[in-house]
Amino acid sequence: MLDAGLCQNVLISYGHNALSSDSMLAMLMDFAGDDAVFGHFGATGGYALAARRAMHEFNTGPQTWKHIAVDQRAWANLNPLAVMHGRPMSFDNYLSSKYVVEPLRLPDNCLVNDGGRAVIVTTLERARDLRHRPAVILGLGQHNPSVQVAQSGALTDSTGARKACETALSMAGITRDDVDACEIYDCFTYTVEVTLQDYGFFGPGEGEAWFAGGTIGPGGRMPVNTSGGQLSEAYYMGLTPLSEAAMQIMGRCGDRQLGPATETNEPNIILVSDNGGILQAHSCCVLGRI
Amino acid sequence: MAYEKPLPRINGDNRQFWEGCKNHELKFQKCASCGHVRFPPSLVCPRCLCRDIEWIVSAGVGKVYTYAVYHAIYHEGFRKDAPYVVAVVELQEGPRLLTNIVGCAPGEVSCEMPVSVVWEDVTPDISLPLFRPAV
Repeated sequence: MLDAGLCQNVLISYGHNALSSDSMLAMLMDFAGDDAVFGHFGATGGYALAARRAMHEFNTGPQTWKHIAVDQRAWANLNPLAVMHGRPMSFDNYLSSKYVVEPLRLPDNCLVNDGGRAVIVTTLERARDLRHRPAVILGLGQHNPSVQVAQSGALTDSTGARKACETALSMAGITRDDVDACEIYDCFTYTVEVTLQDYGFFGPGEGEAWFAGGTIGPGGRMPVNTSGGQLSEAYYMGLTPLSEAAMQIMGRCGDRQLGPATETNEPNIILVSDNGGILQAHSCCVLGRI
Repeated sequence: MAYEKPLPRINGDNRQFWEGCKNHELKFQKCASCGHVRFPPSLVCPRCLCRDIEWIVSAGVGKVYTYAVYHAIYHEGFRKDAPYVVAVVELQEGPRLLTNIVGCAPGEVSCEMPVSVVWEDVTPDISLPLFRPAV
């Protein structure tokens, strides 16, 4: 639309009083359809089915996911806007927390919160004239396998993430080695693992070793979800990762700013993901500095 | 006491499936052209788009493809069951069903565990296909 000159600025916004109303629960209950007959509701159950099959097929589980939950919480503690700011979490805290739908515990789940987030997309020409350095869309990719969890005989085969990422990297003319950080749609810890796995950062079952030692946290070699993400900052659907990537590239992130302040890579290239349904739809975006 | 859990919503697509369940028969559509046995019921075969079908009755045996243990209560009707097991069971004939595993503790369920159907008559018209460990 911008290229065609149909408009000059596009506002992408999300707002939801998910915590102070029952609308999120009502929406999820409505999605259940006849699965409700068997007590299967909401998103946690669907991702629990996918995560359990993954545990059967390769090395994953709480010992992998604890790194994701704890390191994202560490980022949230550098972000005064995060819902979980000021509430540090240890591995013991994670492993002793209650199950929601096993194998997923409470801190494996994203937050339910009130709030909103927005980004504005405009032309590069216009963006160069703004106060902050532009975050430029370098590549986009989308792939939607669409198969319902209960009908999938290949739950642990690649999600839409693999092809979406290949398309986005190819459009940007870069490789995975050029990526400085990732902002991953993290409805659940397992979603972060399977997305990074399908993006090719590690092979199936290698996630536990890859995440260990603070890889994705402050000071880590591949920072992920630097606002705390949906697990520990706030849930604004795909705008949690997208807005954080743009803010990092612009250099507007204060104590959690990527670069020397957090002993991490300068954020020249950030991979951003979005995901829909139960691993049924995936989009990947490369944002960068030029 | 009245049944407290949600009941299936019968429609033109799923009527024959649930009528089969009432008679304790797991009935699936089989494509008359390519032989694909499918669930949920549909007008055309998702593999070959053929509209011709025959109905088969499943032997009711299969294995757990995956499962999840519900500790949270989303609906009051399930409170007394928690923790309870929701599973995807892959039947011998091919289709996968979302169902519950009963007759064993949640901790005893595993992926690939052999299971067989057990019927729960919840109303005069509705019987649910649940699964238990195969003996």
